[in-house]
Amino acid sequence: MNTRKAGIAPRTFMLLLMVYLLLPLLATGLYAFAQDWQNTLLPRSWTLGWFRDMFQDIRFLEALWTSLYLCVISVLLSLAVMLPAVFVITVYFPRWESFMKGVVVLPYAVPGVVAAVGLIRAYSSGPFDISGTAYLLVGAYFVVILPYMYQGIRNSLLSVSAVELLNAAELLGARRRSAFVNVILPNIWPGVMVSALLSFSVLFGEFVLTNMLVGGHIQTIQVYLFRRVGESGHLASAIAISYFVFILLLSAVLMKLGMKIKGQAK
Amino acid sequence: MKQRERGLILALAPFVLMVLAFQVVPVFSMLTGSFRDADGAGFTLGNYQHALSSAYYQQAIKNSLLISALSSLIGLAVGLVCAYCITRFAPAVRDRLLMLSNMTSNFAGVPLAFAYIILLGNNGVFTLLFKQWGWNVFDGFNLYSWSGLILVYVYFQIPLALLLLYPAFYGIREQWKEAAALLGAGTWQFWRTVGLPMLSPAIFGTLGILFANAMGAYATAYALVGGNYNLLAVRIGSLVAGDVVTQPQMGSTLAVLLALSTLLAVFLNQRMVRRMEGFGGRSPAGRERSSGLFRRRWPAVREEAGQ
Amino acid sequence: MKIKSSIYIRGGTEMNDYLKLQGIRKRFGDAPVLAGVDLNIGEGELVTLLGPSGCGKSTLLRCIAGLTELDSGSILLAGKELTKLPPRSRDVGMVFQSYALFPNLTVSQNVEYGMRMRGVAPAARRSRCEELLALVDLEDKRDVYPQSLSGGQQQRVALARSLAVQPKLLLLDEPLSALDAKIRKNLRAEIRDIQRRLGMTTLFVTHDQEEALILSDRICIMNQGRMVQEGSPEQLYTAPRTEFAARFMGSYNVFNRAEALKLFRRIDSRADRFAIRPEAVTLLAEGEAIQDDADGMMDVHGQVQAVSILGNIIRAAVVAEGVHLTVDLLNDGRWLRVREGDRVTLLLDPAQLLHLEQEGA
Repeated sequence: MNTRKAGIAPRTFMLLLMVYLLLPLLATGLYAFAQDWQNTLLPRSWTLGWFRDMFQDIRFLEALWTSLYLCVISVLLSLAVMLPAVFVITVYFPRWESFMKGVVVLPYAVPGVVAAVGLIRAYSSGPFDISGTAYLLVGAYFVVILPYMYQGIRNSLLSVSAVELLNAAELLGARRRSAFVNVILPNIWPGVMVSALLSFSVLFGEFVLTNMLVGGHIQTIQVYLFRRVGESGHLASAIAISYFVFILLLSAVLMKLGMKIKGQAK
Repeated sequence: MKQRERGLILALAPFVLMVLAFQVVPVFSMLTGSFRDADGAGFTLGNYQHALSSAYYQQAIKNSLLISALSSLIGLAVGLVCAYCITRFAPAVRDRLLMLSNMTSNFAGVPLAFAYIILLGNNGVFTLLFKQWGWNVFDGFNLYSWSGLILVYVYFQIPLALLLLYPAFYGIREQWKEAAALLGAGTWQFWRTVGLPMLSPAIFGTLGILFANAMGAYATAYALVGGNYNLLAVRIGSLVAGDVVTQPQMGSTLAVLLALSTLLAVFLNQRMVRRMEGFGGRSPAGRERSSGLFRRRWPAVREEAGQ
Repeated sequence: MKIKSSIYIRGGTEMNDYLKLQGIRKRFGDAPVLAGVDLNIGEGELVTLLGPSGCGKSTLLRCIAGLTELDSGSILLAGKELTKLPPRSRDVGMVFQSYALFPNLTVSQNVEYGMRMRGVAPAARRSRCEELLALVDLEDKRDVYPQSLSGGQQQRVALARSLAVQPKLLLLDEPLSALDAKIRKNLRAEIRDIQRRLGMTTLFVTHDQEEALILSDRICIMNQGRMVQEGSPEQLYTAPRTEFAARFMGSYNVFNRAEALKLFRRIDSRADRFAIRPEAVTLLAEGEAIQDDADGMMDVHGQVQAVSILGNIIRAAVVAEGVHLTVDLLNDGRWLRVREGDRVTLLLDPAQLLHLEQEGA
């Protein structure tokens, strides 16, 4: 549109916006390293103690571990279920796609609280009493990342023209299943990885469902953070900042991967 | 042929099962629950009657609607100005600014509430600092009340609004401005007669998403005010997973009402997106991403991923 | 070539300064886009700026409209200096290549837009709008949104929109380039017709020489930010002054001095670029007699390299005396037997040979 330098007004507005958006982050960051910060503009003295405390806190490490394995399991399960399903739908039943869009848009349009209500009611009694267990949570997580996984896998399939690839492989004598494993999967893998990592980061930041479904029994990092907010501000800051840095690194990896795919596509 | 069909069914079965179990059944259960008596038997509309007549729930609904509407409007206004500003920058700078803004949108929920407590809470850095300096800008301000909630909600609304709105500005073609100028329109007249009307689908669509986003926001509010402020989402949470006594039927009813409001808002967004595609055939956001919803989280990343 | 500019009667020399451009200069960064352009246009005249893309013709148009600021020079329209005025005060209408219709407004709202901005009363607006829609033959589309119209219809709406405010000058920036061939021809005729009826002073930008020849009272060829040559369509077509103009106006055969000497043997000028139109060369098949009226003609022998039929014209690529040239023959059935590899005789009339000036002279 234009390559000239932005005028004074846009610059001022964007500067204000950035200050506004980054201020809470900055404050949390400073707080995590502050020994003593009461009524001065900047902390009086600094320390790494809060981070040390954090890593010595056994409950933190447990929560971290719980978060990691719950998220990984959910993403793996989703991959195992979604890959063949989306493949079959995209390649063999493209007419179902509009219906799939509806299924996929629902988790977006329905807030977490509402989803939690339904899940709790459906599974707190009767034949499937799995309330408060990790099974329920993994199921809920599956639905949370459904849109990302579906969209990601589908776009990858479309961008490598899976149907043509498959036809070519079959004409060359490959069986359908081996064509899927040997031809389609390697080609869509980078795109699928991006969706998987994205899904992982979404789940890692999930609080509503976790807290409502299993909050009393299983502590993920978010639930742990929530519990600690009231206790020590500095420690909580250290956790929040570590969490944020972790997510940032993850998104950097995602970005790199995404760019690589884009580069290949060109 | 038979084997082929079996293969296809085998591939689809787990997916169908999972969607049924964790999406369809819960929604169904919630719907039926909302029409059940407190003891869990019999059909009744009493829950809805109660939800809409009880002063307590009325207040929760009113608070939620007000906070959502206000935070969406503020977020939209700021987002609109910033989205316009951001299109004035060179693409490289623009992308960097968007990345920063996206980055902060990861800072939501509990950590965000926490950051605001550090800054403006009872013992917050700014609170104490301003007290010491004798400034009283925050005298009437209480982070743990409605003004605080608005402030925090606006914080997570702005990056979202910015992200949803800025592509629409690229839909305003430079030649429209030129044609309008030659026909005698001033800058403001152009925006009033052509620019804003062209943006209006994007504006209303974004408003829908922002509203749904705020209505459903739970973590931030819960972490900030706990049960102290009467919001629909927080109320639902305590009704079904509370520490004291749970009322799943009432929770279901309120949840259905909440879901209706967000579904309506999202529906509005979809309609607007379609209208945008009608204008000049090509929506600035592009077809795949245009549902707006899919851009809710890390859209920059998704864009990079070629989606 | 059927519409001759002889129909054009108005522009006497004293009237030839309705629009007066003097010393227009513009650079983008280091690149000079307009390097001192002078141009006068008479009232009611249709002048075409013709040139390859990047020659500065569109920039010149935008400078006149006030959409691009110029570095120096003056623009006088009906005696009024425009240079300092914003676009909306210039009384200039413009039609863009991409139509630039407002998609949120109906056809009639688009046409009325300029009047609305100028505070014309609704009733007056409506009747004027009807007038214009009748002019461009779109009365039945008044309540339709532009997206649902074809490209040609959209461009007619754009034309009506810019005419609605009765501008003193109409600028057309490659208005036909985005349309397909057939619609282009119809709309071309329509634009010319409307322009004549309204006596609208018009500056038309195109890179298509055929369009320029058919439409214009006068053509200005531009290259690299300068006027190369200006004149009536006949003048430009029959007597291009430079190699650039010759190549741009038609499929002229251009020779250097050595080549020209091979074909014509003797040349009475010191020019070192020469050109001859392909249809000015007579081609005789082997054994065909040279006509009696071939006095003063040069005859050279050559061989046909390729033959292509362009409809009413057959174009033959011939090599004679080691020089490549193109010959156009009227497709009257006589020439269909000319084949690749045939030996032929060419008759060249020295009077038809143009002696070209040095570029930029």
